[in-house]
Amino acid sequence: MAATMVSSAGGLLAMLNESHPSLKLHALSNLNSFVDQFWPEISTSVPIIESLYEDEEFDQHQRQLAALLVSKVFYYLGELNDSLSYALGAGSLFDVSDDSDYVHTLLAKAIDEYASIKSKAAELNDEAANVDPRLEAIVERMLDKCITDGKYQQAMGIAIECRRLDKLEEAITRSDNIHGTLSYCINVSHSFVNRREYRREVLRLLVKVYQKLPSPDYLSICQCLMFLDEPEGVVSILEKLLRSENKDDALLAFQVAFDLVENEHQAFLLNVRDHLPVPKSLPSESTESAPAQNESTAAAEDVQMTDGTPASNANVQGTDPKEVIYAERLNKIRGILSGETSIQLTLQFLYSHNKSDLLILKTIKQSVEMRNSVCHSATIYANAIMHAGTTVDTFLRENLDWLSRATNWAKFSATAGVGLPVVAVHTQKGGALYALGLIHANHGEGIKQFLRDSLRSTTVEVIQHGACLGLGLAALGTADEDIYDDIKNVLYTDNAVAGEAAGISMGLLMVGTASEKAGEMLAYAHETQHEKIIRGLALGIALTVYGREEEADTGTANNKAIRQLLHFAVSDVSDDVRRTAVLALGFVLYSEPEQTPRIVSLLSESYNPHVRYGAALAVGISCAGTGLSEAISLLEPLTSDVVDFVRQGALIAMAMVMVQINEANDSRVGTFRRQLEKIILDKHEDTMSKMGAILASGILDAGGRNMTIKLLSKTKHDKITAVVGLAVFSQFCIQNQLLCPPATSAVKLPTAVLSTSAKAKARAKKEAEQKEKVNNEKTDAVGKGKSSSEKEGDSMQVDTPQEKKAEPEPSFELLTNPARVVPAQEKFIRFLEDSRYVPVKSAPSGFVLLRDLRPNEPEVLSLTDAPSSTQSPAGGSTTGQGSASAMAVDEEPQPPAPFEYTS
Amino acid sequence: MDPKLTEVSQLFERFKAAITRKDYDSCTELLSHLKVLLTSFRSLPPLFENTPNSIHELTLARDIYEHAVLLSVKIEDQDAFERDFFQLKPYYTDAGSRLPPSPNEYMILGLNLLRLLVQNRIAEFHTELELLSSTALENPCIKHAVELEQSFMEGAYNRVLSAKQNVPNETYGYFMDLLAKTVRDEIAGCSEKAYDYLSLKDARQMLLYTSDKELLQYIEEEHPEWEIKNGSVFFQKAKESVPCKEIPSLQLINQTLSYARELERIV
Repeated sequence: MAATMVSSAGGLLAMLNESHPSLKLHALSNLNSFVDQFWPEISTSVPIIESLYEDEEFDQHQRQLAALLVSKVFYYLGELNDSLSYALGAGSLFDVSDDSDYVHTLLAKAIDEYASIKSKAAELNDEAANVDPRLEAIVERMLDKCITDGKYQQAMGIAIECRRLDKLEEAITRSDNIHGTLSYCINVSHSFVNRREYRREVLRLLVKVYQKLPSPDYLSICQCLMFLDEPEGVVSILEKLLRSENKDDALLAFQVAFDLVENEHQAFLLNVRDHLPVPKSLPSESTESAPAQNESTAAAEDVQMTDGTPASNANVQGTDPKEVIYAERLNKIRGILSGETSIQLTLQFLYSHNKSDLLILKTIKQSVEMRNSVCHSATIYANAIMHAGTTVDTFLRENLDWLSRATNWAKFSATAGVGLPVVAVHTQKGGALYALGLIHANHGEGIKQFLRDSLRSTTVEVIQHGACLGLGLAALGTADEDIYDDIKNVLYTDNAVAGEAAGISMGLLMVGTASEKAGEMLAYAHETQHEKIIRGLALGIALTVYGREEEADTGTANNKAIRQLLHFAVSDVSDDVRRTAVLALGFVLYSEPEQTPRIVSLLSESYNPHVRYGAALAVGISCAGTGLSEAISLLEPLTSDVVDFVRQGALIAMAMVMVQINEANDSRVGTFRRQLEKIILDKHEDTMSKMGAILASGILDAGGRNMTIKLLSKTKHDKITAVVGLAVFSQFCIQNQLLCPPATSAVKLPTAVLSTSAKAKARAKKEAEQKEKVNNEKTDAVGKGKSSSEKEGDSMQVDTPQEKKAEPEPSFELLTNPARVVPAQEKFIRFLEDSRYVPVKSAPSGFVLLRDLRPNEPEVLSLTDAPSSTQSPAGGSTTGQGSASAMAVDEEPQPPAPFEYTS
Repeated sequence: MDPKLTEVSQLFERFKAAITRKDYDSCTELLSHLKVLLTSFRSLPPLFENTPNSIHELTLARDIYEHAVLLSVKIEDQDAFERDFFQLKPYYTDAGSRLPPSPNEYMILGLNLLRLLVQNRIAEFHTELELLSSTALENPCIKHAVELEQSFMEGAYNRVLSAKQNVPNETYGYFMDLLAKTVRDEIAGCSEKAYDYLSLKDARQMLLYTSDKELLQYIEEEHPEWEIKNGSVFFQKAKESVPCKEIPSLQLINQTLSYARELERIV
């Protein structure tokens, strides 16, 4: 006989009204098992069931059953809030481990609820937030379940969301792959934890966990500490590593240093460097002489840092060998921390791989009319950007007379522009000082003093101007009081030109500190009569506050910020505000470039040219270097806009997006290049768009086609320099187009900008594998017989599967080191297996230290041609082994790992 | 035989005996006990498990509930009627194919229809009607209810009241009495709307009363707000109409203007 199915819950519902309690219980439990089927019928009787739940006379079990039933009905009705509150009433009957839609939905709801309560409480600093203990119990049950099931990632995610650091710690320590979970956790905390204070708490916890591990991952710890701005922690780690017997530890320390440098937080780096304890037994003069020597030989010193400070070597004969080793290592790490090592490596790489096309420049030069100073300077900038960091000054040398035709401010900026590619050419004094600042941007320990002296000793405003900017750049973010005072003096001379520079410089100096200096600057901005100073100060203040307000905004893709900005963008009456608001969107969104085109696409069709302009640059900034197809499609129509400055902005933005994208990736790049050429050559084109085109072609080839623009470092720290640079740059564009023809005075900004950003670019763009020739030839003075020569990896091979399938290309390719790798390729890079050198950290790009597994074999080093000006004889003498740039490929390459090509 | 089943059967016999004795108090007590016992049978709704005794158990349970329904009519408890009827219903609808038809089925369904009519739940009445087969509609019990409903809807209230004389079953009497009251309520509600006042004579005729005394008693019980003066009934309160709400013109104008402003600003 076929099973009879019940067709209605009417009977059971009627039974609820019976007077006998056991009948009610019977009805409840049956209804509970049929609720999935009959919830529409039951929903009409919910009040009755609710009253059962609230009836004090019932026993606990029955009331909970009623609550569970009501909860389920509400769930089916879509009333999740009511459903949750009754589920809480159901107590233990609500089974977390049940695998049903109802339970899943309610769990998610419960966790959301809990997280929002917790974070609200945290925002109000209300410790005693009244969280429903039953809610907490459910969340905890869920967490425990995740942990016991081995779903650590879920558990961590929930714990972070709910601000349950205790649970987070438990999840991490109980996971089977602690290192994996930890790094996952760092990632999560960077990308999903929006509140700064809370992120710090999480990171602090992570550091704590890290330190408890038997084999701590120092690289990650230091990254965390850097974010927390706790130089002491880094220092103690570094010291421990450096003092270690094991040379691998020292290597690790160097790697840590390189990674820290990559994030370009100068103040922090300086702190770390200064806190590194001096070796105990060394005579004090030798330790002092060591850094001094580093400075003085900075130009001459080879990357290999092989000098080993002979002076100290001589001095310390007979002292504790450990201390000697430590002292040497200390010197090296100081070099790295001050950024010199990486700069030099960068320089070497950029110089040797410079592929910029002088012909383009030449064409530009010829097409530009002499009298048009805007285009003239634009050309110079283009050149500067193109050759940023390469020290290639061919173009300038060839066209010195042409350059000299520049007048006044153009001359100033011309010289400044020179600063980018050339180290030694100082022609005009003010510009020269500025150039110095550029060269040393963010690493200018040694140069600061010189700049300050020049600043004090001069009264010529142009020179003051240059020196101020230079100082600001060199001491970026260090918040050095003395320098600040010097600049302030300049400011108080109330001289328009110098004052403006001083204002900006103050901002650069104090960037991200949000100190009370901002108030001081604000007060002066109100007093002064000069518009320029006000502008400079305003920018400076903005920079100062960056990192406070903006820390929360930049790169977080914070929805609230976006909403606010969009609101401004459409509702404000002032063109300026609108434009800036749209522009700011670019900064807010740069961590998620894919989103930007979608968000601003409407704005780019605005009737208001200022908004269009802002939209173009926003896309340019946030999608810089990605070559994102939507971004290009969005910008394309704008490049032929009716308004000239929109065209300019669009061209520049386009160039930013297309940096490092070749024609094979996107055919539009070629079209774009041709378009640029056409605009430049066209006599009737507006000055504004022409300038944009010239700059754009400069950016396209930035850094000898080896640079890109990137605002986030690999470890997801904001790159202060990059952000600031672009901010100032965008500012320039605005002023420039407002001040149209007499743009000369405003134009000096671009270099400021571009130079900072160019430096930033250089860093970000260090995709190129850098070979570390940290050749530590260490001879133990005592001579334990074992001359432990730590020869760090020199050659390494990288195979990059090419991502084109059309031609019968080899499926992989050995890259010589160093080599350019665009971001899209990065994920295909790996080290050859069982090759001789093993990287200390797993990342395939950037500065990587290698460990030599076969120290006894002879080494073949590859040398890159360093720029002649910095080439030192030390280069040859260091190794004594072949200095040819041959690659050490001693084995047949492994078959490439299988990879899937997705177009 | 299953001892539990035996126990229920014996209890049921005592229950039936009590009904014939008209000892309704002990009936309700026994009934409640019976129902509790029934919950332990897994063959009964809503589980409908196939147990060896399932047919027997189902039939017994159906009998019990049928008696429970009839009992509720006898003790004039509409709520109990509804409860018991709903619990009985699955035996007709879901288990109907497995059981021999019950002689009381149509009578009870008709009673239920009548109850819905009395409670003026016309929508449910028709829902129930739709669920019945065409043979069921031929049954005099059902037919009676359907005809009553039609008269009721047409406004042929006199026919409704006269139908009391030819009920198909003596249990229907209770509901027929109630129905008369429902009809009067309906008439009274209409009169309120239709007239400002009525003379006592007209009112009496309208409400189908034979004497003024009954009318006055009815008014006193059901409609104390009606006023009786000068030999007429005044239905004032019902006349109090709510004044038209003012249109919030200012607010609307403001809103529209702000929309216009926003539109202008939009990109």
